[in-house]
Amino acid sequence: MSESSAKESPAEKAEAPKFQPKYNWMNKTRSWGMRALPGKAGLKLGDLNMGIYGEIPMHWDDQSRNPRGAVPRRGMPPVGYAIRDKGGLWADCAADLYEEAIQRRWAPATDVPWDSIEPLPDDVEHAVCQVCTELTQYANVDIETITGWQHQMSYGYHEVKQYLATATFDAARHYECFRKRALVNGGGLGLEGPGQVNRMILESRGGWTEAVVYLFLVRGVFTMTLYRYLGRYAHNDAERFIYGHALADKARHVTYALDHLKFALAHVEDQQLVTATLLAIGDNGLARDLRDPVLKEALAIIFGGGIDGARQQGMEVYHALMRDYVDTHLAYCRWLDIPRNPAALPPPLNEYVDAPADV
Amino acid sequence: MSEAVDTANDYELDLGWMDRTGPWNTQASQGKNGLTLADIQIGEYGDPPVESDNQTGRPRGAASRDSTYRIGAYAVRSKSEIWLDNASFLYEEALQRQWSSATDVPWHTIEPLPDDVEQAECQLATFLTEVEFVAGDVPARWVSLTTPDFLEPRQVLLAQVMDESRHMDVFRKRALANGGGLMQATGATSGFVGSIDLSRDFTEMSSRLHVSGEGAVLTLFRMGELMAQNEAEKVIYRLCAQDEARHVAFGVMHMRYMSEAAPERREEIHCYLDEAEGGLIGAANPVGQLTPTSESMAIILGGGKENFDDGMNKIIAIRQRQLREYKKRVVSAGFGDRFESGRSKVDEMIERAAA
Ligand SMILES: [Fe+2]
Ligand SMILES: [Fe+2]
Repeated sequence: MSESSAKESPAEKAEAPKFQPKYNWMNKTRSWGMRALPGKAGLKLGDLNMGIYGEIPMHWDDQSRNPRGAVPRRGMPPVGYAIRDKGGLWADCAADLYEEAIQRRWAPATDVPWDSIEPLPDDVEHAVCQVCTELTQYANVDIETITGWQHQMSYGYHEVKQYLATATFDAARHYECFRKRALVNGGGLGLEGPGQVNRMILESRGGWTEAVVYLFLVRGVFTMTLYRYLGRYAHNDAERFIYGHALADKARHVTYALDHLKFALAHVEDQQLVTATLLAIGDNGLARDLRDPVLKEALAIIFGGGIDGARQQGMEVYHALMRDYVDTHLAYCRWLDIPRNPAALPPPLNEYVDAPADV
Repeated sequence: MSEAVDTANDYELDLGWMDRTGPWNTQASQGKNGLTLADIQIGEYGDPPVESDNQTGRPRGAASRDSTYRIGAYAVRSKSEIWLDNASFLYEEALQRQWSSATDVPWHTIEPLPDDVEQAECQLATFLTEVEFVAGDVPARWVSLTTPDFLEPRQVLLAQVMDESRHMDVFRKRALANGGGLMQATGATSGFVGSIDLSRDFTEMSSRLHVSGEGAVLTLFRMGELMAQNEAEKVIYRLCAQDEARHVAFGVMHMRYMSEAAPERREEIHCYLDEAEGGLIGAANPVGQLTPTSESMAIILGGGKENFDDGMNKIIAIRQRQLREYKKRVVSAGFGDRFESGRSKVDEMIERAAA
């Protein structure tokens, strides 16, 4: 950076200047000479983390909107952030997930082959519409929960805030496309869901990490499993497209969650046992939702190809789905080293422990 | 529809839910822009309530369960508080026009610049990064407070949060891409722009954020051809302007709806506009007072410190244009009477800027 401009102020010019700039902002930088270069995937958010700009402290005291690495301005009234510890939100993969989400964006209006949807038997259409109604509500909880936390996160950790902006945008797309699917084929929306897990997620007042446990490790893994099975039993290309893309989006949400929880467990005192307690509470909420017959029956009708098939084959696929969910959820808990006692899971979750999914 | 359950089968089905649906036989059909949000606004599904009593978060038009908990706690439940007539269009347009700051900006066109110009670019980028933070956080918070019965405006706000996140990131990228770095934070978002945070009402927030704040930024981005030193910067300003135009349109269209649906709130909205106009040429505006940001803008527009006065003259032209565009938007929103009655000082500001 060249010398201060004060010496070469326009005042030196022969003609009296119209304006008197102070230039007192010049040379105020903590680190100059940065040149982030684009790679073959362009100039990515993570590429900017060079030198001091990539230093991400464990605690972020600054409560202004000072961008990380800029020279702070003193005397700024705090904006008021609840989350100022790295342990409360960080995930190393956030910057990459952010760019990935942008590259993999899709538009339900034009990318989904809506023309491929043909009339379905009445019972099957009812079931599809019921499932879409509940998936819309799941997306709603994603939206309301994440947007409720975003503004509470401090700017030292902007990568996470930015990734979460893509996550709520994903959820907006899911909200929209499941509603569209329900209204496009002679059906309509069904009955609202029972909402125990919804309440649990929205009521995560203990911090963003708690919300992550419920929103992603419980509900997110469950939703992913639903998308996977629904994609397998899709009736047309439109449904296949929707479930496939929603699954890819949801996989990013769960990836962020696992990475964050791994970080939080390693750096936040008592987080491991707190998470175990949260999950024990969460199991009960999920179990209560699962004892409600509506979603289960609708899924069985889809998997069985109608009411008749639902009673046998459809229910068997539903049970396979549940075994898959419990397996995956417990495997993630093991990977995170969260102590869990599968035998203590409340019914009906305990019925699905250790039984291999074979459908 | 519940039919007799065949007990010979393994699982008994209740199926009572099949009779409990929203309006049935709904057949939305797609138009030439695919199946848009507007295409599914049909029958009762397209009819948001004037006052929403939905506290369970159920999708608009779905059948309700008596046993579901009231978990919504939504603060925004009156249609007039948030509605606008073209939300579906703005949302679909946002989806079609998403872009990537990593791959859509030709970063390789950025060449080393004279030190004063690079410093000015970096100061402006530091400021814009701060501003974009606000424009993302605040709408997000309001989404969490809005009933899903008003899903269309909510979807637009979610797209805005995504857009602002990209803006924040593209200006950080610009600051670190050409041998410079971030400069000093301006703190501008704790002043006028920051007061967006303080809003206790959605329309109050929207009048500050969408109409005056982002309106001013939109005029600026539209001057991108003048400001840009290279193709990459041209693309950045053009794409950001496209996004900002949607955000501003949201505010203008909402204000218009509010004015028609709740005329008893017009005087209150005028008060918000009084406040906003007080800050139009303030320190938070890069082409407002002589601040670090406006000085850096003058260097950029003039092409160096030696042409500072030239740059300032361009700034003044931009400031006038900002004010004229602001006035046009407020007129379009249905509040043009403030200019006729002399309540607004914007005309005087335009004249003063010229002098
Ligand atoms: Fe923006
Ligand atoms: Fe904006």
